[in-house]
Amino acid sequence: MIKNIFYVILVASVLSACNDKLDDVNKNPNATETPSAAYLLTGTLKQGADLYWGSESNFNSSLLFVQQWAKIQYAEPDRYDISNTGFTTLWNTGYSTLITDMNTILNFTDQQANPNYKGIALTLRSWTFLLLTDAYGDIPYKEAGTKVTPAYNTQKEVYTGLLDDLKQAQTLLNTANGAVTGDLVYKGNIATWKKLVNSLRLRIALRISDREPELAKQAVIEATGDAAGLISSNSEIFKFVYTSSPQQNPASAWFETRDDYRISKTLVDKLAGLSDPRLPVYAQLPSNAAIGKYAGAANGLSNSDANSQGFANTSKPGTYFLTSQSPAVIFSYSEVLFGLSEAVARGYITGDAEQLYKNAITASINQFGITDAGVIDGYLNQPAVKFDATNYAKSIGEQKWIAFYGQGLDAFAEWRRLDYPVLVAGPATVLDGQIPTRFFYPGTEQSLNGNSYLAAIKNQGKDLLTTRLWFDIK
Amino acid sequence: MTFSVYYLRRTGLLILFGILTTLALSAQQHTISGTILDEGTKVSVIGATIKLKGQQGGTVTDSKGDFSLKVSTLPVTLLVTAIGYKYQEIDVYESVPATFYLTEEINRLNEVVVTALGISKEKKSLGYTMQELKNKDLQNSNETNVLNSLTGKLAGVRITNSQGDMGSSRIVIRGETSIAGNNQPLFVVDGVPVDNSQLNSGGATRDFKNAIADLSPEDIESLSVLKGPNAAALYGSRAAHGVILITTKSGKGQKGLGVSIHSGVSFSQVTTLPDYQNTFGQGSNGKFSYVDGKGGGINDGVDESWGPKMDGRLIPQFFSNGVAVPFVAHPNNVKDFFQTGLTFDNGISIAGSDSKYDFRLGVNDQKQKGTVPNSEINKTNFTINSNYQLTKNIKVGITGNYIVTDAPALPGGPSGNRAAGVMLQFLWFGRQVDVNELKNNRNINWNNSYYSNPYWNANYNTTSQQRNRFIGDVHLEAKILDGLNFRFRSGTDYYNDRRKYTIKYGTNGTPYGSYAEDAYTVDEKNTEAILQYTKKLNADFSFDGLAGFNVRTRTYANNYQKAPRLAVPDLYTLTNSRDALTSSNYYSSLLVYSGFASTQLAYKNYAYLNITGRNDWSSTLPRNNRSYFYPSVSGSLVLSEALKIKSNILDFLKLRGGWSEVGNDADPYQLATVYNFQTAFDGNPIQTSSQRKLNQDLKPETTRSTEFGLEASLWHNRIHLDVAGYNTISLDQILEIKTTAASGYTSQLINAGRINNHGIEVQLDVTPVQSRNFKWNVGLNYSSNKSKVEILDYAGQIKNYTIGSSGGVDVLASVGQAYGTLFGTVYLRDNNGNIVVGANGLPKADPKNQVLGHYTPDWLGGITNTFTYKQLDLSFLIDANVGGKIFSGTNRTGNYTGVLAQTLPGRDAANGGLNYYYPGNNTSATKVLLTGSTAPGGEVVYDDGMIFKGVQANGSANWQVISAQEYYKASYNISEAYIYSSTFVKLREIKLAYNFSRKLIKKIGLEGLSVSATGRNLFFIYKAVPNIDPETAFSTGNAQGLESLALPTTRNYSFNINLKF
Repeated sequence: MIKNIFYVILVASVLSACNDKLDDVNKNPNATETPSAAYLLTGTLKQGADLYWGSESNFNSSLLFVQQWAKIQYAEPDRYDISNTGFTTLWNTGYSTLITDMNTILNFTDQQANPNYKGIALTLRSWTFLLLTDAYGDIPYKEAGTKVTPAYNTQKEVYTGLLDDLKQAQTLLNTANGAVTGDLVYKGNIATWKKLVNSLRLRIALRISDREPELAKQAVIEATGDAAGLISSNSEIFKFVYTSSPQQNPASAWFETRDDYRISKTLVDKLAGLSDPRLPVYAQLPSNAAIGKYAGAANGLSNSDANSQGFANTSKPGTYFLTSQSPAVIFSYSEVLFGLSEAVARGYITGDAEQLYKNAITASINQFGITDAGVIDGYLNQPAVKFDATNYAKSIGEQKWIAFYGQGLDAFAEWRRLDYPVLVAGPATVLDGQIPTRFFYPGTEQSLNGNSYLAAIKNQGKDLLTTRLWFDIK
Repeated sequence: MTFSVYYLRRTGLLILFGILTTLALSAQQHTISGTILDEGTKVSVIGATIKLKGQQGGTVTDSKGDFSLKVSTLPVTLLVTAIGYKYQEIDVYESVPATFYLTEEINRLNEVVVTALGISKEKKSLGYTMQELKNKDLQNSNETNVLNSLTGKLAGVRITNSQGDMGSSRIVIRGETSIAGNNQPLFVVDGVPVDNSQLNSGGATRDFKNAIADLSPEDIESLSVLKGPNAAALYGSRAAHGVILITTKSGKGQKGLGVSIHSGVSFSQVTTLPDYQNTFGQGSNGKFSYVDGKGGGINDGVDESWGPKMDGRLIPQFFSNGVAVPFVAHPNNVKDFFQTGLTFDNGISIAGSDSKYDFRLGVNDQKQKGTVPNSEINKTNFTINSNYQLTKNIKVGITGNYIVTDAPALPGGPSGNRAAGVMLQFLWFGRQVDVNELKNNRNINWNNSYYSNPYWNANYNTTSQQRNRFIGDVHLEAKILDGLNFRFRSGTDYYNDRRKYTIKYGTNGTPYGSYAEDAYTVDEKNTEAILQYTKKLNADFSFDGLAGFNVRTRTYANNYQKAPRLAVPDLYTLTNSRDALTSSNYYSSLLVYSGFASTQLAYKNYAYLNITGRNDWSSTLPRNNRSYFYPSVSGSLVLSEALKIKSNILDFLKLRGGWSEVGNDADPYQLATVYNFQTAFDGNPIQTSSQRKLNQDLKPETTRSTEFGLEASLWHNRIHLDVAGYNTISLDQILEIKTTAASGYTSQLINAGRINNHGIEVQLDVTPVQSRNFKWNVGLNYSSNKSKVEILDYAGQIKNYTIGSSGGVDVLASVGQAYGTLFGTVYLRDNNGNIVVGANGLPKADPKNQVLGHYTPDWLGGITNTFTYKQLDLSFLIDANVGGKIFSGTNRTGNYTGVLAQTLPGRDAANGGLNYYYPGNNTSATKVLLTGSTAPGGEVVYDDGMIFKGVQANGSANWQVISAQEYYKASYNISEAYIYSSTFVKLREIKLAYNFSRKLIKKIGLEGLSVSATGRNLFFIYKAVPNIDPETAFSTGNAQGLESLALPTTRNYSFNINLKF
């Protein structure tokens, strides 16, 4: 009997030792299961900036649609000839990197992340959802990150949900709630984060203003009435500043190896017509000195016609945008001022819409390093620039378009909402003369989340580039 | 010689070569002498007994197969017997030394084969199919990837050949049984499991050879295929996809010292180059003039051939320094870029044995210059195989295979890579380009907006590979008691693989160049001990059993580092960098303990029951699920013996069947979701989600297989038939399912999925003609496998698993469909099936993607005809792959760029183009079709009009004229347009071999001499897809059916000589 027990113990301990050995062998030496909030925050800021300023959702799509840049080579996207994998990066990086990383912080215990980390995480998550819904329309929001096949929410549900999320972020953020490290943008300054939160609320409120004026008005009042205030100077711009390779600005990295983009003729002609002081910042002179003036490339040409404009005869985007340290601007002070001007013009709040409009343009010109008051005054006093109170959408739309140079996704959203400037599709474009009014969903949604996708299509309309989104009434 | 010759040897028919016919004159004592050789292998038959018919006397052949015998009268009849050979009577008429051949006795009742774990068993006792190839079926083909030489020779085995002449080959047995995992069989060399990975990482990839290509076919003695779980159950978790057992040559049976020399040379040429048009040159809309090759001239940045006619008109070109020179076609400009590939394969081996020992030492050297300029691979194999009888009961031995591969430059980078891709630049091409001008000056190119000179790319932007590999073991066999044996083996497969990627400073698109190093170390170790017991229980029953255990470890390490921009040109070091290096590394290891047992119970000599069981404990699974048991049971009944129904017609008839369950563990580290570090930003570390959700509750995968079969020999083995049917269900598959990113992860690991494979395999061997000097043998194999993905997730929410993608087409495992469904965009069609065309005259795409077919073939077949006339063997192999679809990137791109001949129709009046004009000569306006040749307002008339066949939105026939250029570009993003049937019939191999008679060569001191000439991949008898070879492998992965500007495959001619002395 004793002997038997001995054998049982012997066998059991051998098996257990084997199991321990097998467990040890399967410990992953390559990565960690327990991340740090600070490192996730740094990653989100960097990857978010790369996404917003990078090729697929910015200069290879939205920046072309709004005719700020043009393609002189590989011109398919400039003709809106885009395969169903063409808008996958915004979706995938947005959801499975940015939102997942921020959700990781939001799910941390208070020991792992103080409320300020969570407030920032909620803010950045809201910003990501906003980019997604602005581009695609209906998107998974409430069930995102919780189900294998999450249902889509309507765009209205997403915008209103985000307004609530940002309200909550505002309450989480408090200078007394502990320090934040890894914050490459605001260096842990919680007060500025609170300003960004209110600025995002203003942005969202205006997005829905044509569709839900009452809701928009209330949100504007809440955002502008919050004690923390809004972004109030160019020094508070939400921007990510790059360093050097391999951490350089994505547009700069692109131009190191490729030469297929030029500034759009539409934008150059507009700026030249207004003698806009930003033109020399936005564009370079063509390398062929004989040209001698800024020359944009036309949008929507066939590859051969695009190419025939000549690499040497057309203007590249300005060096301000193409050095490795060039910033990725995500929320500018001038956008806040344009927003306030419009909120006044819409009667949501009181104030001087024209002065706010002028301040917005001034802030934008300053942002690009031009501070000569005489030059700015001269610019503002031109009839073509002057605020048109009877058609504020035109004044704000055109100037916001100029100010948004490089911020393709937001320029695209505001162009669709304000319907200015009036843009004409290029001659070889493939949408029967229309310009895209959204991104289509990644082709993989059809196969990976088919039922949810079909429900969304049913609600929103065909999954086409030209389907109008809910916020975009005309 | 080919596979059917092997059967020829087994047919047990008497064939006699070299019978002497001259009458002897002397009536005195005569000495007759000669040599007895194996008819199939031409090696000496040692110990053959020779008696005289009707007389006293006799002798036995010596270690060289020679004999000599005194007789009093001539002619005499010799009665020759030898174990394993058919009894034979030979008439001898004169006393001149002669060579006689014995045919191996194919007694299907005694045939012994090597089965799982290297255990020899009587073939008749097996409950599953088993197919073997011998050395002569593999050698002399000079194939640089041994898998390629198996193509078409094995039923149920699908091999997809390499693209180009330096790529990977993929092998799948009985269809894909794993939805997501590896579907390649396990390779076991001399009892040592070896790696057959295709290693790739770091983003810079090309189609590297799979690891089994390291073996030299010249060192292989035999190769047995265990087709699936029933045969391979004893390998447990690694058996689901079948096992290929390779036995290398040894010194066994070599009396005294023997030296063998092999020397071969082969030439290869590219085949299946695209069929190019030679009417229109570079440019767009019919216009072209070169200034700087990047848009400075007229369309000179355009890398397409929609330019002017190549009718000798004068146009400045890239080499002419602005001078207008004749614009003419160079029809062979792509063909001329490729060179004749040259491979030298030389080997020498020494072998010997006596009662105490046997050994074989060999070295084989292969030098290959590829068809792409500058490409080169050198490989040397050193082998040793030796056994020593330590005591009466204990034998020890070693095997060792040391392989050194040095490839200074491999062709082609990743497909679509502008700096190194080969076919990319030849599909985006100007048809007037004279490649000699490019060859003469690597600093100029026909296009400077996208590419560098192709010779620049081939010579400077190279991928090199150095690989050192050791495969070997030490083993011991001991006889403990009568019937009880012990076997021990400890083996390793260890290799280092280092790749270097260089892009030269000044390369278009990579102006500063780049340099990357990618290093791998793979180490697999297996140690195994087995006890074997055999006992005859009584007169009718006998028992044969074994029990053993195995410990397996595998470690893998990868380190990738890249200098993204060089500081100074032409210095390829990691420190010569402008930037911080980008780097990554990965380390993994796994450990599996296994215990296994098997028994065989035999009744008389015709009924057999086999039972096996194996339990694995794997480190890659969670504690609660890591122990798993796999059983198998099979039986065999030799009806011809049991029912005594042997007759003159029926020689042998056997029924067999079995059931088994095997499975698979996971890869290492698939249990806990992790966060990865990325390059820190300015001193701030970055962590981010790995985007993969892992699973703490993984279970092992399970594959259940049932197999039945029949084997029959008829008419004295002149017909031999083997039929097998099987049904395999794989479930609980470990799937990394792609999920919508909106789920939080782009993929999740689940235990789900069920895939069914069932099929039939037929091997038929027929000898329609045989006479003294001539024999014709036909070997035929056929296999058909049908697969169906039944379930992906048990909740039924996921309908598709994405295996791979290219050019907008996904390869899916799609519920309810065959494995490998191609899924992509289709034309928008109206309810009547007509393509809907927009107001602009261009077809529209349906926003909803559709199933376009599946890549797996309906059936495969191969037929080998072998003709033997005296010492001359001629064989040819035709194989067919019927059914299946392929998406062709070459056709898609080549149509878009107008380089293919299929883009000629409609391009001018001579090619059927329609006349049209632009009202007011405004080329932005809509084109107007003309019936005559003059426009109403005297506008310019164009003759390249075409009308896309389809209907307008209102249902009326489309009449909007478009240019040919628009026409051929219109379907670029419509996958459906470039889906083709991958059906083909290929003349795979012709082999001519001559074995010199020993009588002749003995005089110059040789034991054996043979010469052979082989042609491989000679031509397509039929193929459905234009411009490409439908059987090129995309990689060894499961994402097949996608062709993306693949390197052309090659046709090889090889000449070999084999000497033995």
